[in-house]
Amino acid sequence: MPVLLLLVILVFPSFARAEPTAGELVRKGLEYWRGTTSVAEIVMTIHRPDWERSMTLKGWTRGRSDSLFTILAPPRDRGNGTLKKNRDMWTYNPKINRTIKIPPSMMAQSWMGSDFSNNDLAKSDSVLEDYTHELQAVDIRDGVRVYTVSAVPRPEAPVVWGRQELVVREDFIILEQRFYDEDGVAVKILTGSDLQIMDGRLFPRVWVMRKTEVQDEYTRMEYTSLHFGPDLPDRLFTLNALSEVAR
Amino acid sequence: MWSMDTRIAWRNIWRNPRRTALTLLAIAFAAGLLVFMVSLQFGSYEAMITSAVGLHTGDLQVRADGYGEDYAMHLVVADPEAVRTVLAREPEITGTTCRARGFALLASPQRTYAGMVMGVDPDGEQAVSTLSRIVRRGRFLRPDDVNTALIGEVLARNLRVNLGDEVTLLGQGRDGSIAATVLVVTGVFRSGQTELDRSTVYIPLSHFQDVFAMRGAVHEVVLRTGRLQTSSELGRRLDALVAGLDMRPLLRVRTWFELMPGLLESIQMDLASSAMFHLILIAVVTFSILNTFVMVVFERTREFGVLLAMGATRGRLIRILMRESLLVTLGGVVLGLAVGSAVTWYTQSTGIPMGDAGRLMAEYGLPERIYPRLGLLSALLGPAVVFGLTMLAALFPALRVRRLRPVAAMREG
Repeated sequence: MPVLLLLVILVFPSFARAEPTAGELVRKGLEYWRGTTSVAEIVMTIHRPDWERSMTLKGWTRGRSDSLFTILAPPRDRGNGTLKKNRDMWTYNPKINRTIKIPPSMMAQSWMGSDFSNNDLAKSDSVLEDYTHELQAVDIRDGVRVYTVSAVPRPEAPVVWGRQELVVREDFIILEQRFYDEDGVAVKILTGSDLQIMDGRLFPRVWVMRKTEVQDEYTRMEYTSLHFGPDLPDRLFTLNALSEVAR
Repeated sequence: MWSMDTRIAWRNIWRNPRRTALTLLAIAFAAGLLVFMVSLQFGSYEAMITSAVGLHTGDLQVRADGYGEDYAMHLVVADPEAVRTVLAREPEITGTTCRARGFALLASPQRTYAGMVMGVDPDGEQAVSTLSRIVRRGRFLRPDDVNTALIGEVLARNLRVNLGDEVTLLGQGRDGSIAATVLVVTGVFRSGQTELDRSTVYIPLSHFQDVFAMRGAVHEVVLRTGRLQTSSELGRRLDALVAGLDMRPLLRVRTWFELMPGLLESIQMDLASSAMFHLILIAVVTFSILNTFVMVVFERTREFGVLLAMGATRGRLIRILMRESLLVTLGGVVLGLAVGSAVTWYTQSTGIPMGDAGRLMAEYGLPERIYPRLGLLSALLGPAVVFGLTMLAALFPALRVRRLRPVAAMREG
């Protein structure tokens, strides 16, 4: 009898909860992050040792492929917007009333002066599509299981990173994304913090993108409002909408 | 009048006039060629420096400390007028102009490229740089222009724009705000430097300051001294001067060779590789002369034996031999110097057309003709080395005389 009890105790955890696979963690993590659709207001702060600048953005996302951002403040930049459809990006400036498609050569450049690159936005689902995933570590933080997934690019994938790491909670909340170069050195780290219930969903309200090679430089994205699942029409993710959305 | 030794040496030289003439010509050839080659090199370096300084950096520049590392937009010269006021009191500064620089997306209806936007003062540039002279189509910027653009030839072709067409600019301002404007192409320039022609747009500084939210600031104050030689000493003195303004960000003065370390490096590299080539030339000539001198001593072993037997000292024989070499070498070097300098002086005024190579040289911003630069150093350096090495070569056979035994020597030959 005690033997049976011991066996049950030993075996029970694996019965109770099947471990998610690495690929599943990444896919569900991204889905949780983006939701099917979302509307958000974000304060983006670009911090440098000698100056700091904040702007307020409004963003709409639909699935992993479509998103639209427009600047609400400061007034000087109001109405500047970015549309992403699949892996193409356009930018709009109201002062000159022009829309420009971001050329491939600029995709690695900074997005609106921040520590995010255009690629970080345009290829946000790249870590799922272009990489193979492996569970690297499991630990418990605040009573929640936290998985570290190592993502290695597929041989033919058009990516710039040597490897990525995702830290995902068991409830599929992504806490951190680390970007490594080909020498295995972490180049950029995106960290989520301040988990709060936003629109009925637990979500890291503050995201900080930090480059590791420089001190005291980062970009902070702070959600001031976030709604999941509104019905967003197709015409919201078009060039016309890009130029009109801020009016 | 000549000493006895010199007279003997003089006569010995003409014992075999043809051999002497050939030796002398070989030395003259080496010396003359070196005068021309070294002058040509110095001339082309000067052209490289003049054109780069004229188009890009000026002789000196005032910039914010650290600006050259990655041309960060916010590292500005906050109050350029204060800087110019201070520098206007310097007699060595003959001209100044201000520039600003930003990186931006440049788009035509068909294409979009990333490029560099330079804000320049139209009047100031004409006084200080050669920029207005590389306009190939259209016209240079004018002081009353607003959103006009002088665009690199390759960039214009890539964007598929021509004179009168619009180019949209989208970048980031000094304060991180979005900089956007529509430019009208009024001129197309070609510098011959691929990098510049492919990526650069010049616009009026005032418009640049508007669009990029510069609040009156610039990135570079360009200084001309009107002299080729810019001393580091002048740089240091001006550096202390602008540091005294106590402006934020901190200002520094940089000389053109600090601003373009690559230019000086490539000159040094070229100098080193050509020095190698010249040394090989000199070595060949020296060895052939050494051969001649060895022959001279060898032929006269018997004669030397007799002279020694008659009581001439070995030292005197060596002196006579050295004087012979000195006369031949000096004659050759002087002849070479004269002919070399004459040819150099002539080509210095006409220039040497480079043909196909000229097009290649245009890549480095050089004119298609190069003008040798005859100076004291370029004229005397080569001949001096030839002279020194030839005399060294003459010493070796002369010293053989020391080991001659009169009787044995007389039996030889």
